Amino acid sequence: MISLYTLILGIALLLIGIYAMLTRKNLMKIVIGFSIADTGTHIIIVSLGYLRGKTAPVIDAAVSVSNAVREVVDPVPSALVLTAIVIGLAVTAVMLSFIVEMYKKNKSLSIDDYQELKW
Amino acid sequence: MVSPIYILILSLSVGFLLSIFDRAGRKFSLTAFYSVLTFNVALMGDWLYRLAVLHVPTFVINTAGFNAPVSINLELGVAEALVLFLANLTGLMAAVYLFDKFREGKVSSLILYLLLVMGVNGLVMTQDIFNMFVFLEILSISTFALTTLKKNLKTLSAGFKYMIAGGVASTFFLLGVVFVYYFAGTLNLGFMTADQFSGIGLIALFLLSVSLFIELKPFPANGWALDVYQSVDSGIVSVIAVVNSAAIGFAFYKIMPLLPSSFLTAFGMAGIVTFFFSNMMGLKQENAKRLLGYSSIGQMGLLLASLVFTIGIEPAVRYLIIGGLFLNHLLSKAGLFWIAGIVKEEKIRNWGVLRNNKPLLVLFGLFIFALSGLPPFAGFWAKWEFVKVLVDSKMFFVLGTVLVGSLFELIFLFRWFTMAVKENADELEPMASPGFSRIFPVSFFGILAAVVSFGAMRCFYGSNWLQVLPVIAVLFITLIDSLPSKVKGFISLAAVAGYGYYLYPLLTGNIQLFFGVIFIAGSAVNLISTLNRKNQSKGFYGFLLMMIFSFGNLLIASTYLEFFLSWEFMTLSSFLLILRGQNAQRASLMYMIFSTAGAYLIMVGFSFAPALSSTAALILSIQDVNLPLISFIVLAIGFMIKSGSVGVHIWLPEAHAEAESDVSPFISAILLKAGVFGLLLLGIAYVSNAPSFDVFYWVGWIGVITAIAGAFMASFQEDAKKLLAYSSMSQVGYIVAALAMITHLGWVSALYLAFNHMMFKSALFIAVAGIYYRTRTRKMYEMGGLISRMPWTYMTVLMSIIAVSGVPPLSGFGAKWLIYTAFITKGWYLQAGVLFFASGVSFLYLYRLIHTIFLGQLKYEHQEIKEAPAWFIIPQYIFLAGIMAISMFPNLIIKPLNAIAMHYFDSSIQIDGLTVMSELGYWNGNLVMYVTMAVFAIPFIMLLLLKGKTQKVKQFNIVYAAERPESPQTTHVAHNMYAHLRKSLGSLSLPRVQEFWNSVAEWSHTLGAFFRRVYTGNGQTYLLHIILYIVVMYAVMGGQ
Repeated sequence: MISLYTLILGIALLLIGIYAMLTRKNLMKIVIGFSIADTGTHIIIVSLGYLRGKTAPVIDAAVSVSNAVREVVDPVPSALVLTAIVIGLAVTAVMLSFIVEMYKKNKSLSIDDYQELKW
Repeated sequence: MVSPIYILILSLSVGFLLSIFDRAGRKFSLTAFYSVLTFNVALMGDWLYRLAVLHVPTFVINTAGFNAPVSINLELGVAEALVLFLANLTGLMAAVYLFDKFREGKVSSLILYLLLVMGVNGLVMTQDIFNMFVFLEILSISTFALTTLKKNLKTLSAGFKYMIAGGVASTFFLLGVVFVYYFAGTLNLGFMTADQFSGIGLIALFLLSVSLFIELKPFPANGWALDVYQSVDSGIVSVIAVVNSAAIGFAFYKIMPLLPSSFLTAFGMAGIVTFFFSNMMGLKQENAKRLLGYSSIGQMGLLLASLVFTIGIEPAVRYLIIGGLFLNHLLSKAGLFWIAGIVKEEKIRNWGVLRNNKPLLVLFGLFIFALSGLPPFAGFWAKWEFVKVLVDSKMFFVLGTVLVGSLFELIFLFRWFTMAVKENADELEPMASPGFSRIFPVSFFGILAAVVSFGAMRCFYGSNWLQVLPVIAVLFITLIDSLPSKVKGFISLAAVAGYGYYLYPLLTGNIQLFFGVIFIAGSAVNLISTLNRKNQSKGFYGFLLMMIFSFGNLLIASTYLEFFLSWEFMTLSSFLLILRGQNAQRASLMYMIFSTAGAYLIMVGFSFAPALSSTAALILSIQDVNLPLISFIVLAIGFMIKSGSVGVHIWLPEAHAEAESDVSPFISAILLKAGVFGLLLLGIAYVSNAPSFDVFYWVGWIGVITAIAGAFMASFQEDAKKLLAYSSMSQVGYIVAALAMITHLGWVSALYLAFNHMMFKSALFIAVAGIYYRTRTRKMYEMGGLISRMPWTYMTVLMSIIAVSGVPPLSGFGAKWLIYTAFITKGWYLQAGVLFFASGVSFLYLYRLIHTIFLGQLKYEHQEIKEAPAWFIIPQYIFLAGIMAISMFPNLIIKPLNAIAMHYFDSSIQIDGLTVMSELGYWNGNLVMYVTMAVFAIPFIMLLLLKGKTQKVKQFNIVYAAERPESPQTTHVAHNMYAHLRKSLGSLSLPRVQEFWNSVAEWSHTLGAFFRRVYTGNGQTYLLHIILYIVVMYAVMGGQ
């Protein structure tokens, strides 16, 4: 069965992150919010693949090929989460680089100062 | 066969190598860059050919040496190949467009661009949903970075909002992917079935689909996209609007089979809502690129809706609808964004600068027409079929919303177009001439749009080139446009004659022949007056021929679609002709809006109609069709818009008055008859299969009210052309009322009136054209006494107004005799009474016309004026000869009309020699003529004898308390001629209808302005929209 605690933790982080993105005015804090939400997502992914009492999906001395299916957690979410982390990192990096440029142009980190385009 | 995986491999590897190539020089890296893009297009083109034409099976690529689901697999079928071919082509063209930027900017843009292209190709082909997420992110990240190709505060802030929105959407998508995996146990779409997801499993599908849907910018969770469209470089925006949207839309299409129908309906509705609101808000938009953004978002909404609402219909039709809408959006939207980048004027009001570059203006028009769903472009065919599907599946709410949304879109697009053609741009900096790399993609897409539409027409019509003739005419005249105007005029005259000769054997029914005479012969005679044109009149004859050929094609159209196609060609060409008038910006726009609303109604009406079993012309085969009531109602309204019935007439006076003076005769005398022709078509269906509700009773009343309202308004005009325009409205009201009787005599009189009106109104408009040509004014009180200077024109006007007014001896008398007899035998006494009153009113405006222009004293400035040129006089007298002929020998026309009407009813008149007998009495046109001539001769001789006793008074010899009026003409009786009547009856002619439509326009714009306030410009608000959107969608879908 999946791990309920980590699932709840993940969802909580996701919501906290989104809350931060919606309420913080500072661009940096918005990106931090995004990172938190992203991390929450990653935890949700991993917890979905987690099976209680099973070991890591690495076939070595501890886990033989023949009984691997019974002894390890689902390896696919773990593999997915690695990719997701990398992608999340890339998005965060681009966001931060935007903030740097925006600050250079407008000398402000408040999102309220960037609403010239509208309607 | 080269595996499509090389697209991914090459794009990625060359992308990474580019920074090394760049060390060797930008030429080197640019060559590699463009080679890869070209390779992609060529490869996909090859695959498209194999899959679609040679029918090779769908190509599956298993990566890493394993079969799916262990490995990730990619699939390339016809749909994928088509989408990718077009997406890569647009990608290549956008890159060509961006050539200057790429040559001078950083190499990283090139790398990002290749990554973007790879993301698009991967997203479309992959069958693995996690892989989809990866490609989506590659696509998004490279797009985020590319938004700052032009780096300024606007692009940065727009890009940041885009990232926040995109980032959250992909987070939800990732969650969806994992939950789907949790429930389905696989990531591969090929191994998932809808029944793996039930209960809580639906949340997984919900997350997956709704997050993709958010990426497709649904209203109102799309503010970020609008900011991006407005600010980012046009080349990149074209990629975002077209290529990215296509790929993400296709990803959505791939997961659609998994979704339960409640989800699909909700998404479809959300698409429709997006389409409607985007276009409504577009009404208020003044920034060119943001306007295009609204339009893009709307189009994507429509495309998504069409994906959903066409599920389960015949695949060929489905692909036609989706493919047509997609292609139309792709070509025209990319083209328009590129043009926006070239023009550089942000405000659409300033787009008059585009006139410096005629070819670009033509392309602009072409894309606008395509986007508005006008023929022959792909969107026209798609819209026609989509409406049919919506009608068949009884989705009337969706249908209505789509049509109103389309009308909004047409309004802002055409307003923009008329601004570009007409708005004053003298004070603006002239547009710089664009380089080859900028003009090439625009032209290429323009040509492609034309070729595709030609292909679509081929596939609909095979070898029936007649249907294509209106377009061929435009192309042909464009080729010879450098010839002098007169030469083109004679060529056009010959073309019309040749077309008539070719058409003649095809007109097997009498009714076709009759309208053939009005449409073709009438046009040919009217064409003579255009020979007076001195300047080059570029484009004029092309549109004129297009319109004339469309008239003719209406007669022989054998299916609803052919009829509608010719109808739309007619609308488009007449719009372009009206737009040529000097101050016709507003008039032509209003004409287009009303015509299109009418056309939509006609489209809906035909969609309700049962299939035709015969291959004969529609006007003949319609009598075997059992039209449902709803068809009768909407078609009647649609046709009455074209014939200028009261309530929807406001386009008419403006369009007639503001068109060039030699175009007005065509519009009044011939174009209005197309509406009559449509009503007659409906009447024929009514005769054989009348619905339970008597539609034509009400049509008759509308005709009667139109007749009297038009007559009243004509009486109070100072502008000669407006007077004639309202008179046309009134006269066509008579025709409609007579038609609506659905009796033998009613139809004889309606057709008689139609023919008569064609002749005298042509003659009158050409006469006024001649007067305008000499006096340069249309205000009647600025003329006067022209009888001595322009006697030939005077004779025309005199004869014509006698023919209009219905006094003996001319043809109008016969018309009146017929129509009142018809009304009395039908038992419509009240209607007859009102029309009788209207005839009285028409004396007012006819008298005004001849009195103020020709009688009284000659104005000083007109002392030396000459008679109108021969090119104006000749057609007038041809028409006069026609009027005289049917006045003297009414049998010439009564007999054929009797034969036409006898086809549908028992005859109610006998013709004995020169006498026509009805049950109420008889009429001998010949005799009447002789009697009246004698009556005329006696006072004429008396007047001649008394002539010497008149006393001449100097003009304006009036004293105003030691003051001379500044504009003495206004003191003359000719100005505000019926002031006393205006006081007593003027309230009847107040522009109430005009005010009503103005307030409709005002309200739509205000609503648009109200709704677009949701786009506050704040990134967090946009994010909140997205979150709320997801919650609302969840509530909607969960509720079902």
